[in-house]
Amino acid sequence: MSFERIKPHLPWITLLFLVLVVGAADSNFLRPANLISMTADIVPLFIMALGMTFAIYIGGIDLSAQSIANMTTVVATIALPTFGIGAALICILSGVVLGSISGYVTTRLYVPSFISTLAVGGIAFSVAQYLSGQRALFMDATMRETSFGWMTGSVAGLPSELIIAAVLVLGAWFLQSRTTFGRALKAVGAGEPAAVASGLNVNRIKIMAFALSGGLAAIAGLLFSVKLSGGSPTLANGFLLPAIVAVLVGGTPLTGGVGGVVNTLIGTLIVAVIRSSMLYFEVDATQQQMVFGLILIGAIALTIDRTKLKVVK
Amino acid sequence: MSNVLTRDVLIKWAPLIVLLILVLSFTVMEPRFFSLRNFARIGISSTPALMVAIGVTFIIIMGSIDLSMEGTVSVCAVAFAFAFIWLGGTLASWAWLALPLALLVGAAIGLVNGLVHVILKIPSFMASLAMGFVGTGFALLLTGGDRIRVEDDLFRALLTERWFGFPIMCYVALLFLLIAWFIQSRTTLGRNFYAVGGGEELAHASGLNVNRVRIMGFALAGVFYAVGALLAVGRIGIAETATGSNFMFVSITSVVVGGTALWGGIGGVWNTLIGVLIVNVINNGMVVIGLPGYVQDGVLGVLVIAAVVLSTDRKSVTFVK
Repeated sequence: MSFERIKPHLPWITLLFLVLVVGAADSNFLRPANLISMTADIVPLFIMALGMTFAIYIGGIDLSAQSIANMTTVVATIALPTFGIGAALICILSGVVLGSISGYVTTRLYVPSFISTLAVGGIAFSVAQYLSGQRALFMDATMRETSFGWMTGSVAGLPSELIIAAVLVLGAWFLQSRTTFGRALKAVGAGEPAAVASGLNVNRIKIMAFALSGGLAAIAGLLFSVKLSGGSPTLANGFLLPAIVAVLVGGTPLTGGVGGVVNTLIGTLIVAVIRSSMLYFEVDATQQQMVFGLILIGAIALTIDRTKLKVVK
Repeated sequence: MSNVLTRDVLIKWAPLIVLLILVLSFTVMEPRFFSLRNFARIGISSTPALMVAIGVTFIIIMGSIDLSMEGTVSVCAVAFAFAFIWLGGTLASWAWLALPLALLVGAAIGLVNGLVHVILKIPSFMASLAMGFVGTGFALLLTGGDRIRVEDDLFRALLTERWFGFPIMCYVALLFLLIAWFIQSRTTLGRNFYAVGGGEELAHASGLNVNRVRIMGFALAGVFYAVGALLAVGRIGIAETATGSNFMFVSITSVVVGGTALWGGIGGVWNTLIGVLIVNVINNGMVVIGLPGYVQDGVLGVLVIAAVVLSTDRKSVTFVK
C-alpha cells in the first residue's frame, strides 16, 4: 500500500492514535465528562478553523481571522446593551463585510491573499482599538443571560456550544458537498485556470469563500466573547496558529482542492487532544506555540500538492 | 514629455514623491513636526524597523516572502541579552562577543527557515510564518516570560550618545544600509537575487543554483533581523519575547510601500529606506498632529494594499491566490 493511498486516511488515524496514547497514559482522559468539556472548550477555535477551511480550500489563506474575532468580541460587548440579540447579527455582518473586502482586494486588485488579509486584519485591529478605547470591556451579566444565555447553557446534558458547532459544521458540510457553490469551490481549488475556462465566475466564488471565512471568524469571536463575558482588541490572540494547524492537520492542503470541513473537524480534535495531552505531560503552556509551529511545518510538508506548484516561491 | 513620464518612471519615483508630500503636509499642519528633535525621534523609531525591512527586501526581490521576523528578532534579542550578561554585562569586557553571536543566531535561524522552505518545498510565506511562531515560542521558552534588562552604559550609548542631533544607532543603521547596498549591487549573491526574482526558470536554465541562492537569501535576512534586534534592545534596554512584535506588519508594509514589487525582481534597499521613512513619518506625524495611535494599523493596512495595487502590472498577472 503506497503512502498516497493512506494519505486521505491519515488525519483520523492520527486522531485515534493520539486518543489511545493519551488515554493509556491518563485514565481520566477517556471519561465522557472530560471528553465533552475538552471538545466544548475548543468550539470557538473550531468555528474559526471552519471558516479558514474555505479560504484554504480555494488555495488562499486568511490571516485576518484572529483580528476579526478580536474585533467582534469588542463589537458584541458594545452592541449588546442597545441591540440585545441583534448584536450577533451586527457581529456576523461585520465579519462578512471584512472578509468580502479581503476577497475583493485579492481577486479584483490582484493582491495575494496573505497580504490582503494581513492588511484587512490591521484594519480590523484598528477598529477594535477605536471601539474599545483600548480597554478590556465587560458584559452586563443579566443582559448577557437574556440575549446569549442559550449559547452557554446545556441541552440534554450536552453543552450548547457543541450543538452550535454541530449546526455550523452541518451547514458548512451541506454548502460544500450538496450545493453548486460547493462544487464551484472545489473546481477553483483543484485548478483555477480550468475553472475560469469552464465559465465559472471564479472571482465571485473566491470573494464568497473569504466572506464565509470572515463571517465564521466573527461567530468564533462572538461565542468566545459570550464565554468570557467581555471583549478586548487582544482577547482572541493565540487563535490564528492553532486554527491554521487544525485545517492543515485535518488534511486540507495549502494548495486547496481536497479536504474540507469534515477534515477540519478531525483536525481541530487533533489540536484539542494535543493541547490536553500537553497539560497532562506537564509541558509548559508557553511551549504550545513552538509545538504547534513545528506541527504546522510537518503538516504542510505532508499534505501539500507539489504538482500544482511549478516553482515554490 | 509623454515618453519621459511613463508608468515605469512614475513608479520609480512615486515613493520619494509621496514621502516629500507627507513631510510637507505634516509640516503645514503642525510646524513642530519639522524640527531636528522630531526627525531624531523618527530616526530612532525607524532604525530597528529599517534593518528588519532590509532583510526582508532581499527575500521579496527573489519573489518569496519572509514572515518569520517577529520570532527571529525575539530569539536574537533574548540570546544576545543572555550572552551579554553571562559574559560580563558590559561592552568593555568579553561581553562584546555577544554582538557577533547574535548575528550568528540570526543567520542560523534564517538558514533553517530557508532549508524548511527549499527542502520541504513549502511556499515561503507559510514556512516562514510557522518558523516565526516557533521562534516566538522558543524565545518564550528561553525567558520564561521574563524581561531581561541590558543596562550597560556603553551599549546604551547607541541611544544616549548623539552626534549632530541623531543617536549612534542611526549611524549604525546607515552603515548596515550601505553594506546591504553593497551586497545588492556589487556581489554575485545580490545580482542572483534579482535573477531569481526576475524569472526563476530562466535563472535556473542559465545554470544558477536557485535553491542555494534562496537559502543564502534567508540566512542573510536573518543577519539583518539580528541587527534589528540589537538596535531594538539598544533602544529600550530590555530584551523579551515581545521585542519582535509588530515587526512583521511594519517591515512588509515598508518594503512594499517603498516600491519593491511583491512579484520580485524590482526595487532594492534604497526603496526600503524610503518605505520605512514613509511608514514612520506617517506614524509620527499622526501623533504630532494629535490623531490617536490606534489608527496606525488601519492606515498601514490601506497603505499596503494601495502600494501592491500600484506596483502590479496587471497585464503580466494571470491569477492570484
